[in-house]
Amino acid sequence: MSVERGGWSVRALKLWIPLGAFMVFTLFPFYWMAVTSIKPNSELYNRKIMPMIVYHPTLKHYVDLLTETNFLQWTWNTLLVAVVSTAISLVFGTMLAYPLARMKFAGSALISFAVAATYLVPQPLLFIPLADIINQLQLGDTLTSVILTYPTLLVPFCAWLLMGYFRSVPQELEDAARIDGATRLQTMIKVFLPLCVPGFISAGIFAFTLSQNEFLYALIFLTQTDVRTVPVGAIAELVKGDVFYWGQLMAAALLGSVPVAVIYSFFVEHYVAGLTAGAVKQ
Amino acid sequence: MFSWLMVGPPILFLCALVGYPFLYGIWLSLEDRPVAQAGKFVGLANFIADFHDPVFWRVAINTFVYTFFATVLKMVGGLALALTMNQDFRFKNTIRALMLLPFIVPTVLSTIAWMWMLDPGFSVINWLLKYTGIANPGPSWLGNPVLAMISLIIVNVWRGLPFYAITLLAGLQTISPDLYEAATIDGAGTWARFRYVTLPLLKPVIFIVTMFSVIFTFADFQLVYVLTRGGPANATHLFATYAFDIAMSGGQLGMGASVALAMLPPLALIIIAMSVYMKPNKS
Amino acid sequence: MAHIIQAASRRDILKISAATAVGGLLGAARAHAAPKSMTMMHESSFIAAYDAYFKNTIAPAYEKATGIKIVYETVSVGSIQTRDTTVAETGTGPEMAQMAFNWPFLFDQKLVDVTDIAKTIGEKGGGWHANAAEAVVVNGKWKAIPFGNIGQLMNYRTDWFEEVGVKSFPETWHELLEAGIKLKAKDHPFGFELGHGFGDNHGWLYPLLWSFGGREVDTDGKTVVIDSHETAAAVDFAREFFQKTMIEDVLGWTDVSNNKAFLSEQISCTNNAESILYVAKRDFPEIGKATGQAQNPKGPSGERFHMLNPWTHGIFTHTPDVQAAKDFMVWLMDPKQVAGWYDVADSYYGPFLHMYDDASFWHKEPRNLPYRDSMANSHLPGWPAPISRPQGESVAKYVVVDMFAKACAGKSTKEVIADAAAQLKIIFKSA
Repeated sequence: MSVERGGWSVRALKLWIPLGAFMVFTLFPFYWMAVTSIKPNSELYNRKIMPMIVYHPTLKHYVDLLTETNFLQWTWNTLLVAVVSTAISLVFGTMLAYPLARMKFAGSALISFAVAATYLVPQPLLFIPLADIINQLQLGDTLTSVILTYPTLLVPFCAWLLMGYFRSVPQELEDAARIDGATRLQTMIKVFLPLCVPGFISAGIFAFTLSQNEFLYALIFLTQTDVRTVPVGAIAELVKGDVFYWGQLMAAALLGSVPVAVIYSFFVEHYVAGLTAGAVKQ
Repeated sequence: MFSWLMVGPPILFLCALVGYPFLYGIWLSLEDRPVAQAGKFVGLANFIADFHDPVFWRVAINTFVYTFFATVLKMVGGLALALTMNQDFRFKNTIRALMLLPFIVPTVLSTIAWMWMLDPGFSVINWLLKYTGIANPGPSWLGNPVLAMISLIIVNVWRGLPFYAITLLAGLQTISPDLYEAATIDGAGTWARFRYVTLPLLKPVIFIVTMFSVIFTFADFQLVYVLTRGGPANATHLFATYAFDIAMSGGQLGMGASVALAMLPPLALIIIAMSVYMKPNKS
Repeated sequence: MAHIIQAASRRDILKISAATAVGGLLGAARAHAAPKSMTMMHESSFIAAYDAYFKNTIAPAYEKATGIKIVYETVSVGSIQTRDTTVAETGTGPEMAQMAFNWPFLFDQKLVDVTDIAKTIGEKGGGWHANAAEAVVVNGKWKAIPFGNIGQLMNYRTDWFEEVGVKSFPETWHELLEAGIKLKAKDHPFGFELGHGFGDNHGWLYPLLWSFGGREVDTDGKTVVIDSHETAAAVDFAREFFQKTMIEDVLGWTDVSNNKAFLSEQISCTNNAESILYVAKRDFPEIGKATGQAQNPKGPSGERFHMLNPWTHGIFTHTPDVQAAKDFMVWLMDPKQVAGWYDVADSYYGPFLHMYDDASFWHKEPRNLPYRDSMANSHLPGWPAPISRPQGESVAKYVVVDMFAKACAGKSTKEVIADAAAQLKIIFKSA
């Protein structure tokens, strides 16, 4: 950025105040989740006390969540589905991105367009016919149903991200390998892909995030508690009739968020790097 | 050829799980297809019924309003946040990671937290308003039709802003400081530098991010499903939730598909309009 | 089959079922062995003991008696319709399932005709309530066995009502309005759902409409008659009721909101099932002591109504041994089995058979008696028209609910009724 002028107060104005405001806006709901999840029911339903403070914190909701519901099962399902879907999407994404980024061939523009067009067909458009198809394939209430369908959301984005990243990798090493007699496939696998690990991490994290965030397909395909993912399980089962188990819901919300946040904090650099390459160098 | 062998499997996959359902969806929308019964071809009857359905038009308006305001706010807010973050300060990495939380946390879970926060009886904002005597009992965030839409937009912005911010930040960081130096030497002030250096170079990034954002927001389902189910009186019903109600509660798969399909033309138009307006010349 | 009707006791039923099963084995062309197990799919109850009773008492008893294992599959609340849909569409999965509302009509083609056993069960159970048929009879055939009604009634704070001089729950809507005005002035407003939930909005809005004489569609199931003086009167009343007694938030409420509001002492009266009292007694005893339940008030027509919210059991057509499933149903609905099941749920599921009209579980908590009394005037949304697909579409599109909600939010009565009528005309065009 340009040379900074002015002293402490200018910095406050340009940085700390706006940053502070954004932080409050961004993080307040998480504070709320945390506080609500440790409030006993008597405080939860009490409208007269200051809502931001807990007077008698309790871990009861967490205990109930872990012992009385299938939360752990849902977490396992969510992770499993996310990992497998991400893996599939990365493989397919690479298979699409490499030729489109590196090679000229007839129909590449069409393929590019087709992949982009996939995004124009959002979930709500597909869920009714997909529900029918999944039913006919007898895949209802199996994790396979979501593992099969999630990549449809993830592959286009992975392809796009990886394409951008691939283009930013210099071609010299590959050319050298080709001159040395390696086939295209060998070149790709042995020389090129290892260079792209940051791109894979970046695309992988994004795919993982989208996958464990997905709700509509899971809501429709997964109706048995054993196969549910965290989003559907929490919404569907922590509400019994018209009785919300607010404390447990908030506990589930927090517990559902923490693992992803932790993973993210390790990989933010890569995520950003990948986005940079993908978004900027089009 | 190598290329065709490479792109083959993923393309086949997408054809099978996106292309085919898409075509099947079109077929469904042309059928009278009650649940657990065979379908009967009825041509455009579903669409004609939608055309005469006042709720359908309400839903269409809602979706456009929601998408427009949420996107604009995310774009402006995201840019502001990105500019703010594009300075050196301690804890930058930690803060950057924290900023992403709304985006990476499962939406329905954070939305449940918002539901509680938007309840006039429990909302901190209402509590503050009551405590300071400004308003009692305070606005009904999800009961008043206008406020309900505003609340929805706020929650959507809360969720999507980080994605914009981080991506724009990445874009900002690729702009060489030399360009700013040169502009300053040429006498450009802060605003001029922003307008003539920053913005043009950010355009590609803004375009891509906005396109994704518009598509996701236009087709949004989760937020409405959790917060209002489309109420009060359809003030927050979107295409996705309306199609869901018709198909899943009403058992009318054909009509539900027709409502869902109605999303396509406006979405395509928006994307085309955006491409024409925003996309820089491809080099 | 005739011998089934003459059976007088459970043992006879079992003997005959066994005989039929054996007969099926040895006998006719389509013979196949009695199944080793069958599955009954049910929405999970918020009363844990209810699900447990089936799993731990009923299922083992049947297995002991017949050797057939009954698997009790629970589906979380809100997902049962999706699950029923999947089963109906694919023709695989549980043989028997719980239905609700008008689903026997939706799944009609995939449900077995159970008119014969319905007759048996009815006779043994002291006869069916008249409105039981509303939910399960499609084209003259019974497509499911009515099990229980989850009544939607008035829940109110007896202590606060007494403070304003109202000792027993008001008899008419206008009296309720007056009480509400007084209570709102004392910061104890009413909270009736006007949003897009499922039960607590329909639970008072359809009865309101009916008690003022308004109807959506005529008994022929085709003619839209919602545009009438009676409807206008109901709408005008609802607007006044909302403006003078309620908090604005109710316009966006879903089914959970009024429970939360009542239990956090925000409101003094709402329309709900027995869940508020149940949770209050368990978690908020002070509120529980002061909570009363009462039937919906009467309208100018002099009548009062309630919404019928039936749980019914259907047998899917893909069931390999339909007779075995039917036999199980009959056995299940025998007082020896089902009475205990009803009892464990503390009357949350109001039986449709007259023999339980004075069962002990109604008296365990006298405050639940109004739920029993409400059975006589409970009807499905869309009444008096017979259940139909357009009726289901009208409910899914919230035509009646939104009509009232828009009026309460400020639109003119003429406009909201015209909107509703236009919508219904399109929906019922195919009827």
